Parts: sequence; structure tokens; C-alpha cells
Amino acid sequence: MKTVINEQNRRNFASKVESMLHDKLAKCYQCGKCSAGCPVNFEMDYTPNQIIKMTELGMEDRVLNSKTIWLCVSCNTCSTRCPKGFEVTGIMDVLREIAEKKGIASKTEREVQMFHEVFLDNVRSNGRIFELELVGKYKLKTRHLFRDMFLAPKMLEKGKLKMYGEKISNLNQIAKIFKDFE
Amino acid sequence: MKLAYYPGCSLKGTSFEYEVSLLKILEAMNIEVKEIPDWNCCGASAAHSINHNLSVALPARNLAIAEKDGFESVLAPCAACSNRLKNAAYELKNDDILKEKITDSLEMPYNSEMSINNMLEFLIGVVGKDKIKSMVTKPLAGLKVASYYGCLLVRPPKVMQFDDPENPVTMDELVALTGAEPVNYSFKTECCGAINSLSKPDVVMALTGNILYDIKKHGADLVVVACPLCHSNLDVRQKEIERKYDEKIGLPVLFITELLGLSFGIDPKNLAIDGHMVAADRVLKKIEGLTNQQ
Repeated sequence: MKTVINEQNRRNFASKVESMLHDKLAKCYQCGKCSAGCPVNFEMDYTPNQIIKMTELGMEDRVLNSKTIWLCVSCNTCSTRCPKGFEVTGIMDVLREIAEKKGIASKTEREVQMFHEVFLDNVRSNGRIFELELVGKYKLKTRHLFRDMFLAPKMLEKGKLKMYGEKISNLNQIAKIFKDFE
Repeated sequence: MKLAYYPGCSLKGTSFEYEVSLLKILEAMNIEVKEIPDWNCCGASAAHSINHNLSVALPARNLAIAEKDGFESVLAPCAACSNRLKNAAYELKNDDILKEKITDSLEMPYNSEMSINNMLEFLIGVVGKDKIKSMVTKPLAGLKVASYYGCLLVRPPKVMQFDDPENPVTMDELVALTGAEPVNYSFKTECCGAINSLSKPDVVMALTGNILYDIKKHGADLVVVACPLCHSNLDVRQKEIERKYDEKIGLPVLFITELLGLSFGIDPKNLAIDGHMVAADRVLKKIEGLTNQQ
């Protein structure tokens, strides 16, 4: 474990997160309320309050490679209950975005990350989500071809799975949005 | 007032029951809504998870189109869509730099004045309790109904500005209007696992299981929701949860619009209630029995 962190690197990372988050890391006084109420805390490697402190300490590699950032489902329980009004849910978005832009593929939660990527690809190509295509591409990418397949026949029978997707007319505008903001 | 309707992708696919039933009850109440022309996906959880600017720009296009078409208010029945539209409207109002970048990219202006309503807000605030009450011709007295709100309708409160984030009551009030009895329980706003349904099914089943078993323990006949993702997890995954935890649940999960429709005396077939994975037959029979007694 690397215990010595270069002060300049620490500052760079912490201030980058703060500027994207529009909030101050020092607001957090480590009460742990966010972690106590987090519905997925039982699967995480670091609790949300640990992630905040680690970010402040500049532990960039650990934070960006944590399971926690991908397990967070953005339910917003943490931010809602935070006595300091710190953007706990927001910091998870910021850290995921930094990890994604740096091309860091999560070693343990790659499927969650892939789902987000495949989802946005679907929006890019259709303007709307075509669920069957989304699920198909996700399954091909993760190679979990048969997981959940037992649900398909009944969903089909109930009319829940549409065979054709809708495309919007102004796909150029969607392409432009992706070009400008991705 | 011209009312815009933003269906979102789920209502055109796996949660078609929600759209069918909501259009049916609006028609019964003589309320006209118009779909936003050429609307696009709001980006849902994926966009905000990995690209903040995109998560504002995608919903912003829909808001700008609605504004250009002269709408002042949008109904977004999907909890995730209403959450993303409200978030985008909030960012556009509070971040001038991002707003300029987005309106430049869209080549469309946006004045940040659009009022966005989730389904419950729309029913209570725009339609009104009196109107709804006057429509109830088949009161559901004797039926016990648990309202499950989940996360996205109420959180984050500073952006959603809707009901109490820890103990919301709006859906319970609507349930009471139908004559049914609202059931109190502990997991009203606990997360069902939402978007991780496909990528972390075990986590989702644990969270959804907690919710369903608690509702069951409190003696509800059925659950009502106002979110397609909540519905998917509670309904589609229910059989698997029963198998995993080896305990029967058997709780039909209806959209609030379906429950209202039943109390309006609309035929269940026209509300697409047979589109759910957990059959609601037993509940429908109970309703039939209850209303015959009256």
C-alpha cells in the first residue's frame, strides 16, 4: 500500500472533484449517517463517508477503482439525510465520470459500468431506448447470455417486450448533443 | 392550460400498462394532454452516472421543444423521467454557463419556466382531489393497499419539491379517495435497486425482497406504484425472489392509475391489468365481491 501521497497531486485531485461537484469536501465531518442509511452498503468495499475522506486525502487510484462508486444506485438517501447538506450522491457521479473519462474499467463491477455505456449508445443511435436491443447488446457484451432469459417468454406473452423500437426524426440533433457533451 | 405529456421509453415498452391506464383515466376525466413532438430519452440513470452535462442536455431538448410549442406544464408519469427533467430544469436555472452551452448546442432557447409534474403531483395538484372523488363510482372499501414510492419521486427534496422525502403520503391519499384502506409499513421510500436490475440482480432481489416481505407482513392485498422501474423490480422479479428466499409473496403490483381506473368503474381489460407478471385475478375478484355487496 502506498502511504505517502504527493501534496500537489492530492490538491489537484481534491480540487478537480470539488469543482465538478460544486461542493466542498471539508464540509463532511464523518458522522457516517450516509453510510448507515445506504441500501447497498453491504456490498461496498468502502462506505460513502470513507470515499469522501479518501477523496479529500487524494487517494485517487483507490477511489476510482473502488466497487463503491459503481454499486451506488443514486437513490439519494445519503444526500437527503446529510446533516451538512453535502452532495454525497453527487460525488459518486463525479468519481464515476472521472473514472470513465480516464478509461478505467472497473475490475469488479464492470457489468454496471457496461450497462451505462450500452444504454447511452442506444440513446445515441435511436434517440430513445429500444429495450430488446439494449438488453441484447448488454448480454453480448457481458457474455451473460442466459441470465434472466427465463423471464423472456412470459414477458413476451404479456406484451412487455416490443419487437420494434422507435427512432426519433431529428437524430442529427441527438448526434450533435453527444458530439458537444461527450 | 396546454398540458404536455412526456411518456418516456419505459411506457412505450415494458411498462405499457402504465400508459394505457393513465390515458384511460385522463380520457374518463376529460383531461387532454399532448405528447411532446419527437421527444427523446431523458438519459435516465446512465447519463448522470457517467456524464453530467449529457444528463442535463438530453432532457433539456424535450423541455425546449415543449416550450417552443407553447406548453407551460409537462406531465412525466415515469418517476425516473420526472426526476431527470426536474434535475435538468434545476441545473438550467442555476448554472448559466452550462445553460448557454446547451441552448447553443440545441440551437433553441429555453426560459427555464416549465413546470414539471410527476404522476402523483399531476393527479393531486392539476386534476384535484374533488374531481377524482367525483369520478369514483365503484368504491374499493375493504381493499388494503400499500403505496410504494421508492426514491426518485421524492429525492433529492431540494430539486423534487414534492411531499415528504422520508414519509410521503400523496399516493396514500389517492388510495383513500378510491375508498380502499392505505396500509402503513416501513419501506415506503427504501430503494428497490432500480437500474442495477440487470447488472446486479442479487442485490436488487435482496432490496426488493425486503420491501415486498414487509408489505406482506402488514397485510396488504396489493401494492401500488408510480414508477416503471419500481414496477419492474417488484412485479417481474417477484417469482424469483419467492424462490430465492423460499417464501411465498403473491402480491399483485398495480400502477396507481390502474387502481384509480378500477374505482372509476373502468373494465380491468381496458386498464391492461392482465399485462403484469403477477396475476391480479384474486384482487379483481375481491373487488368484484366488495362492490357487489355495496
